[in-house]
Amino acid sequence: MTPNRNADRPRIDAHEKVLGRALYAADQPFPGLLHAMTVPATIAKGRILSIDTAAALQVPGVVRVFTHDDFSQIRTTPAARGAYGQPGKGHQPMTAPQVRHRGEPVALVVAETLEAAVEGAEAVTVRYAEESFSARMDDDLAGPEPEAAGQLASGDAEAAFANAAHIVDVEYRHPQQHHNPIELISTTAAFEDGTLRIYEGTQSAAAFAGGLAGMMGMEPQALRGVSPYTGGGFGQKNGVQEQSVLVASAALLLRRPVKLVMPRGQLFHTASYRPQSRHRVRLAADGNGRLLAGIYETVQQNSRYDGFGSDHGANPPRMYGYGAWRGSERIVRVDTQTPGHQRAPHEHPASHATECALDELAGALGMDPVALRLANDTQRDPITGKPFSSRHLADCLRRGAARFGWERWTNQPGALVAGNGDRIGLGVACGSYKAAMTPSVTTLRLSAGGQCRIATSGHEMGQGLRTVIAAELIDVLGVDPGKLDIRIGDTGHAPQHLTAGSWGAGSAAPAARAAALKLREELSQLTGAVLSDEPVHVQLARTRRPYLEVSVDTVPLGKDRQAIEQLRRGMPVTTGPEYPDFLAFSWIAHFAEVHVEPSTGRVRVRRVVSVADCGRVMNRRTAESQVRGGVVWGIGAALREAGECDPRFGGVLNNDLADYVVPVNADVGAIEVDFIDEPDTRLNLSGVKGLGEVAMVGAAAAIVNAVHNATGRRIRHLPIRIEDLL
Amino acid sequence: MKPLSYVQVRTAREAIEAFVAAGESARYIAGGTNLYDLMKLGIEKPAHLIDIADLDGANRIDTDGDRLFFGGAALMADVAEHPVVRDDYPVLAESLSKAASQQLRNMATVGGNLLQRTRCPYFRNGADGTYPCNKREPGSGCAAIGGIDRSQAVLGASAACNAVSPGDWPVALMAMDAAVELQGLDGTRVIPISELYRPPSRTPHLEFTIGREEIVTGISVPKTAAGRNSTYLKVRDRESYAFALVSAAVALEMDGDRVRQAHVALGGVATVPWRGRPAEAVLRGETLDRGRALEAARAAFAEARAGRHNAFKIELGARTLADAIINAGSRNQ
Ligand SMILES: Cc1cc2nc3c(=O)[nH]c(=O)nc-3n(C[C@H](O)[C@H](O)[C@H](O)COP(=O)(O)OP(=O)(O)OC[C@H]3O[C@@H](n4cnc5c(N)ncnc54)[C@H](O)[C@@H]3O)c2cc1C
Ligand code: SF4
Repeated sequence: MTPNRNADRPRIDAHEKVLGRALYAADQPFPGLLHAMTVPATIAKGRILSIDTAAALQVPGVVRVFTHDDFSQIRTTPAARGAYGQPGKGHQPMTAPQVRHRGEPVALVVAETLEAAVEGAEAVTVRYAEESFSARMDDDLAGPEPEAAGQLASGDAEAAFANAAHIVDVEYRHPQQHHNPIELISTTAAFEDGTLRIYEGTQSAAAFAGGLAGMMGMEPQALRGVSPYTGGGFGQKNGVQEQSVLVASAALLLRRPVKLVMPRGQLFHTASYRPQSRHRVRLAADGNGRLLAGIYETVQQNSRYDGFGSDHGANPPRMYGYGAWRGSERIVRVDTQTPGHQRAPHEHPASHATECALDELAGALGMDPVALRLANDTQRDPITGKPFSSRHLADCLRRGAARFGWERWTNQPGALVAGNGDRIGLGVACGSYKAAMTPSVTTLRLSAGGQCRIATSGHEMGQGLRTVIAAELIDVLGVDPGKLDIRIGDTGHAPQHLTAGSWGAGSAAPAARAAALKLREELSQLTGAVLSDEPVHVQLARTRRPYLEVSVDTVPLGKDRQAIEQLRRGMPVTTGPEYPDFLAFSWIAHFAEVHVEPSTGRVRVRRVVSVADCGRVMNRRTAESQVRGGVVWGIGAALREAGECDPRFGGVLNNDLADYVVPVNADVGAIEVDFIDEPDTRLNLSGVKGLGEVAMVGAAAAIVNAVHNATGRRIRHLPIRIEDLL
Repeated sequence: MKPLSYVQVRTAREAIEAFVAAGESARYIAGGTNLYDLMKLGIEKPAHLIDIADLDGANRIDTDGDRLFFGGAALMADVAEHPVVRDDYPVLAESLSKAASQQLRNMATVGGNLLQRTRCPYFRNGADGTYPCNKREPGSGCAAIGGIDRSQAVLGASAACNAVSPGDWPVALMAMDAAVELQGLDGTRVIPISELYRPPSRTPHLEFTIGREEIVTGISVPKTAAGRNSTYLKVRDRESYAFALVSAAVALEMDGDRVRQAHVALGGVATVPWRGRPAEAVLRGETLDRGRALEAARAAFAEARAGRHNAFKIELGARTLADAIINAGSRNQ
């Protein structure tokens, strides 16, 4: 075994992708493929009175126009639940003459060509009876719900707050955001070998296929879910999409393969999004900056019909050694499609609110915000009293501060001035994300010729999961990367768990490692000797066996064998952050330097330094890339992105990447990334904690704090736009 | 499928004949970067496309005479990178290089740019009937008024439409007193660029003054020493690849350190490329300092009217124009 563990390796599929050879879900070629297009509802709420399909059916090439009359038998079953087992899919469009949010599909046109399908969709006319609605949390008709049970608390936070020498009491607001992965959401359904296969770039092939089967009244095995590659998911592709069952049903009824690629404009209304939220943060400290109390109350938007809960309160109390804590979360229901998980779903908005409030507290105390954080470092969770499996957040802060040049920071806003007159601001913020794991059933086969094939749970969404699996096989077996065949994201090869929540590497790496170790063990039994340094397949060949195959079930820490059964049934089984003996999180510190143009208030992010503690770094290259991506998301959240709702019409006005403003290269300054790289072997065999999500947590807050340091202005909503600083 | 015919022609004459023969549903197409987009959005529904990107000589760039001349089909990228334009008329080069992206500029023409349509989100995103829009559906109403009007105009709006004229290049051309050469059924004519655009008034669907079959064969700009003392400053929601929130084109004819004549135009804030005459008047005969520049800039916005979310454009526009005036002045040697 070579100790070359966090090698800087190119992605194993980089070549295929660059050459355009990697076939994504919508690229699958099928003879006789039909194309579908949806007709989106143009009202926010109401009933469909009539649908006139005559003109659409006249369009040459149109094969069929489906409406709710065709799909009323589709069921919304528990199997169709969204990610994380949230109760849900309370509403499936086109199963009844009812419109519950703007843009939902009301008809599906299937045609021989895409052009005919589009033209057919344009030719469908729908008459509606509109009903009153509210599309925003603050509207009169919005439906507030009582506080959910199980809020985190410790000590008497109210009393500690009331008696404290230094306090802040502030409200931060977060807008609606849309994931906008570059790969559009698509569904292709086709019969192959008698079973219906659904190709979708999903993060959850099994739950997805099982959910669809349930909705269509089929046995789960009757459907195979295939997610060859996911061209960016970020949580938007973790459930059954509004169009998935419609396309699958159309293929079933027409007995022909059908493909639908949702146009980006429609995805703003059919796919999930990060909901709007409000965050009131109260913090109290003594004269030395010791945190006496935190009171954190949030309100989050949800749809009328699904249970997308709020989880803002999970991480902030674990960040520092609060003397006392009280959390409170509520949701408000509005007439939109259901929001969902978007990269660092609650951790990012929560870190925005709490890490900015902490900066305000540092100001009130006259303290350096890095020093304030270090002074409140803790190795124990203030809520449960359990220790953390590993926590190197203080090292992240110290190393980041040194690399960033934090000594330039002063508490005088605008004191640093660039050569061109721009005001320079420096900001810091931290983040955490639970270290979670999921079970897997892994089969590993080594052939005497050197081929090595692994089938396990996981979805490749560009994060480099195949590369992580490869790294373990190369590490333990020394196999040739060119002879690896990694089969993930396909329920035909192995049970598939949803890949999200930063548990991809922490689940797939230990699974691959365990399988590889078992293979070594069996090989050594076969050869009757300790394995030599020779390539493993050569040693296998000598036994005259064509191949050796092992199968391993990995049950994550704190779970039992039942987890494997749940996995086989496509049910979500995740762990963390709380384990029997400890809590496990990944940690990060971000430092941001912004330059603000005095005359216009234009903000430019010149430099970000991020240091993460994610356990063992599996591959330096893809890990750095994850963090850079997370920081870019932070820049987008801090300064650019917002779904714009016109309350008179519902839905959002955004329709493309021009009016949903994501950062471009010119918006992104230097991003320097470093890692603590201490394996957390208490958590799993590979020592991996997860990185994709934590990378973003705190990044926006660091930028907002830097903007304050440059301008003296506390802008308590995102994004900070040019008009906020005029 | 909707039938769509497509012809490529070599001369303006042929193009016009093909256009007239095709009737109502004909459109010229050059780079296609705006027209195809509008077709996908369901706003433009042509049945006949007449491709005029390859008309003989239509991509000509000529800087030899007493005017700069750009053929209607000259590419944005080629004009932006032309040495004379780049060195002696930075306002023109910058208005192009700060627009769209390199890939788009490699396709888009300077003639097509003049005729691109507004980015008003209610106009672009509601063709399926979601949003009323007088420009798309005359008489249907204007969703932007009383809606999310952050992107909308503060100058030149009417009760029927407050959509912004989106182009950067026309703003620079406006400051430089450019002329537009047109060829139609009855031959050719030349109009000042200021006469190309119609204010929305009660007919926002009528955006341009030219005949439907008329072709922009060229754009010319009088040569002037003011070209060197010029700049195009653009402020947007991101640092590249976005339309202007506010922009300012400024060129200064100087007499030593005094302004003999300023040429000022504004973008992103008005329903048509907007000439800032009041600012020019304030600057005439003056030396330049930040206070004077700001005074001039505020004069240009004296008649601005804010909606619900776009009031910031008045202040931001004034500060941007002031910066542009100072920039242009600093280029005076
Ligand atoms: C993503 C994106 C970002 C953009 N950002 C910017 C920006 O920041 N700033 C900016 O200014 N622009 C921007 N643009 C717009 C772009 O500059 C215009 O689309 C382009 O200049 C149009 O030129 P074209 O040759 O492609 O025109 P086409 O799309 O071919 O034509 C546009 C219109 O003009 C007509 N037409 C074209 N040529 C002639 C002619 N010679 N005579 C008569 N009629 C003609 C066509 O019939 C059509 O109605 C952006 C566009 C996109 C897609
Ligand atoms: S501002 Fe003009 S373009 Fe926009 S919706 Fe109103 S009428 Fe239409």
